[in-house]
Amino acid sequence: MKRAIYILVIAMMVTGTLHAQNYFVYVAAESEDEVSVVQFNGTEAKSILDIPVGVWPAEIEGPHGITIGPNGKYWYLTLAHGNPFGTLYKYSTETNEPVGKTTLGLFPATMQISKTTGLLYCVNFNLHGDMVPSTVSVVDPETMTELKRITTGAMPHGSRISPDGTKHYSVAMMSGELFEIDALRLNVSRVLMLDEKAEEAHANHAGHGAHGSSPMQHEGMKHSLVKPTWVIPHPQWNKLYVAGNGSNQVLEVDLDKWEVTNRFPTGKGPYNVEVSPDGEKMVVTYKSEGATGIWDLQSGKEIGRITNSRKVSHGIAITPDSKYAFVSVEGIGGEPGAVDVIDLQKLNLVASADVGKQAGGIGFWKMDQ
Amino acid sequence: MNRLLLSVAMVFSTFLVSIGQGAYQIRVNPSELTLKVDEVKTIQAVVVDDQESYVTSREILYFGTPEVSVDSLGNVTAHRPGEHQIIIISPDPQGAVLRTSYLVKVEYPPLSRIEIREMPQKIYSGTTFPVAIEVFDEKGFQREDITVVLTSSDPEIIDFDELHNLSALKPGNCVIQATAQGISTSMTLTVVKNPVVDLKISADKQQARTGDVIQIRGQAFDDKGNEVVDIPLFYSFEGRSFDISSSAGGLIKQDGRFVAEVPGHYQVAVNSGSKAARLSLKILPRNVARNIEVVGSGVVSDKHTSDLWIWEGVDGRDYAVTGTWGADGTAYFWDVTDPANIERVDSIQVDARTVNDVKVSADGKICVISREGASNRKNGIVILDVTNPREVKTISTFTENLTGGVHNLFIYQNHVYALSGGQKYYVIDIKNPAQPEIVGKFELDTPGHAIHDVWVTDGIAYSSNWQDGVQLVDVGNGIAGGSPSNPVQFAAYKYPSGAHHATFPFTSPSTGKFYTVLGDEIFPYGLNTNGPNMAGGFLHFVDFTDLDHPEEVARYELPGAGSHNFWIEDETLYVAYYNGGVRVVDISGELMGDLYRQGREIAFIIPSDPKAYIANSPFTWGAQLHKGHIFYSDWNSGLWSAKLAPVTPDETKIETD
Repeated sequence: MKRAIYILVIAMMVTGTLHAQNYFVYVAAESEDEVSVVQFNGTEAKSILDIPVGVWPAEIEGPHGITIGPNGKYWYLTLAHGNPFGTLYKYSTETNEPVGKTTLGLFPATMQISKTTGLLYCVNFNLHGDMVPSTVSVVDPETMTELKRITTGAMPHGSRISPDGTKHYSVAMMSGELFEIDALRLNVSRVLMLDEKAEEAHANHAGHGAHGSSPMQHEGMKHSLVKPTWVIPHPQWNKLYVAGNGSNQVLEVDLDKWEVTNRFPTGKGPYNVEVSPDGEKMVVTYKSEGATGIWDLQSGKEIGRITNSRKVSHGIAITPDSKYAFVSVEGIGGEPGAVDVIDLQKLNLVASADVGKQAGGIGFWKMDQ
Repeated sequence: MNRLLLSVAMVFSTFLVSIGQGAYQIRVNPSELTLKVDEVKTIQAVVVDDQESYVTSREILYFGTPEVSVDSLGNVTAHRPGEHQIIIISPDPQGAVLRTSYLVKVEYPPLSRIEIREMPQKIYSGTTFPVAIEVFDEKGFQREDITVVLTSSDPEIIDFDELHNLSALKPGNCVIQATAQGISTSMTLTVVKNPVVDLKISADKQQARTGDVIQIRGQAFDDKGNEVVDIPLFYSFEGRSFDISSSAGGLIKQDGRFVAEVPGHYQVAVNSGSKAARLSLKILPRNVARNIEVVGSGVVSDKHTSDLWIWEGVDGRDYAVTGTWGADGTAYFWDVTDPANIERVDSIQVDARTVNDVKVSADGKICVISREGASNRKNGIVILDVTNPREVKTISTFTENLTGGVHNLFIYQNHVYALSGGQKYYVIDIKNPAQPEIVGKFELDTPGHAIHDVWVTDGIAYSSNWQDGVQLVDVGNGIAGGSPSNPVQFAAYKYPSGAHHATFPFTSPSTGKFYTVLGDEIFPYGLNTNGPNMAGGFLHFVDFTDLDHPEEVARYELPGAGSHNFWIEDETLYVAYYNGGVRVVDISGELMGDLYRQGREIAFIIPSDPKAYIANSPFTWGAQLHKGHIFYSDWNSGLWSAKLAPVTPDETKIETD
């Protein structure tokens, strides 16, 4: 009997501990000029703080990318629109007040800080129409000084750092390229074309321009069928995964061979991809169908597809314990955005919290009891 | 037991290393670096532990800036003078990254020359004028930060004050010298006897209203009665307000033009040496104020309202379209034939969060609305059939090259001029509105160029390009051989604040002068998402009569508020002034100085509404005059109409010669 009571007490303590676990993410609402802090306690998710961002009351400045620094003391936000260049802001997680900023390129978007160099790498998405090569900005987040702009492809997106912090990966959505940047030397070290056949990409481009004399044509610029929108290195394996938004695939790239070794058919419009820290699961947002796919990476199979609470699924942040995926969902028009919480073991939607319109960039902040 | 000890030792070792890394630091030799421009010096950074011993396993990375570059070997090259920092990092895959900022001082280059500019051919005794001096350094850059001392070989002939004003005191020869940082230049000047024995002053009128420009004319004569035309004349004024609580202010230019801001008695003077002449002027109130009343409203209280356009429909009735902001992509259509009973007759929702701009073609058949925040991020424009505004139909959606969002647009002669991503505008042929086609574009090539608005009239596109000011582009006028498919820029004007946001061209009927009215958009007081906001900025009046030499001549600045969109008809300005509501301003006659302080404001109306999206928070977006009524949109409350009371006879008597 004593043993049973002892076990019960222990079980209650463990359960209590689990239930007391809180997770916090920051999420940016691009058409609301607002950032929200969302708390999930294991059963319920809610926005506990809405932070207005930007300085122009009558202009939407478009907060797009968000990331939290390695020490958790600061969060970084890109405002896509400026005159004409966008801005990178640095905020304190303690006060949620801005403490620094610097101007980057056209439509700065996703970013990450390397634990190895301490530098921040941000793609300048340049969603402004012309299919011209854009850049990756490298910023010293201590002084908020832009150190270099590294030219990559057309509409670069998905800015992620290798587990050892020495490589930066991004994809060029319109030119269909994967770029590897040496995060220490700040130069492009490798480029990989992601379309199966380069000529397809060219043919597609040739057929795209309806206006022969249109000034928007750029000689030699490819127009990808894959339309890659995100890239994430595996935390343990020497592989990375690319969202093929145009081809409805996730592409597996072998980093040793530097070639595409698998193309997984997915739901419609895969947009963001993240791999759980334990390396077992891949989470993919299917932007065009408002759903999120959960993949078992050992088997290469999709093991769950969860319909999101609204349409236009966007970003992903996975908890360090690999238990939950927080998915930002944009919504359409006047709908609020949402943060959906997906249980990665049970493969179901366990909670959802409303946030501002066009919720996009999302970053995991912390766990606490 | 041995295995246990080994494990403990390993953990301890790791712990020690961890502690040791915490004490690691970057040391740089030399500790300070001072360079000349283009000079290269090498620095060496190393990582040391708490015993100051080198940690050879740590890599060092150097990162420069455009001002000071540095290569991987620590070779630092100075490019621009000033104090700059380079970043030195020792990376660590375990996250124990070390970084330091290293100060590099780059000395300004030595000066190379001083130039004394624009000295008059003949200097008359008793005259004073400013001396223009330019200083250049060895790199060829003009330097504004240098203090130059002017001296005279004979201060009894020529002397200077600290602001470099030269006073010619008596006839004679003299050497003047400009000196700075060890270099100098000199010039021999001759002061001749001042022949002036008489000064006369006259004006084109001696009574006027505030804001009226009076042309003063000073004339100098010698002892034979001949006019001395090359002698410097200096104009000044002083005044006494009729209202003892007010100061008599105004502006006088050195070409003799004078404008008063406050009613009162003024004296204008012209000086040359010891001679002076004065003239009295009587300035009366402008008396342009009129009553204004709200006539009607079309309330939008569930979302923000953006721009408006009013037009006469093909059925002869009058209609309005308004956009919405940060909402659900809706545009509303209103019947405003009776401005007292504004009726919402239709709406259309597109995939967007903001429909920032709305325009209707001159024939009243086509409406084009802009999209920002589309869920597919393609944005662009939507072309609508508004032949029957009670049943608006979508003709086409056009997104090519407009995916970054269209903030503003204009329709002119079957073409849409649509901004793209805040950098340029495309010219889109909509002769067949179901199949729009890009035929041209205009974009500057200046560093960091940006654009906010475009307005087209008489074949000229006026784009508002923030720090690059207004750009006048021929898109069919013929003045520069341009066309919609070949836009040709032919004139421009920019001002220092770089806040240029909207333009309205204006040819003054009473003077024939051609102005561009340039509006700022500034928010100096930050953002309040739940309450009233305040804006800043004003309207700049630029005399563009001489296209090659535009001159900013006047401003309309309302204290405590900021300009947004505006409209001019005849000689009246209707400007939406955000928290200042709609201001109606008399812009008749020649424009000079501060129009607000000159009492040119005819009326104002502030659309405050307790039921607004943000209650009692006027934030007026745009204004347009249509068939005698002022229509205006407000960010928080929707569409409004107002009417000015008739002009009452001005009892002011202005005496004329």
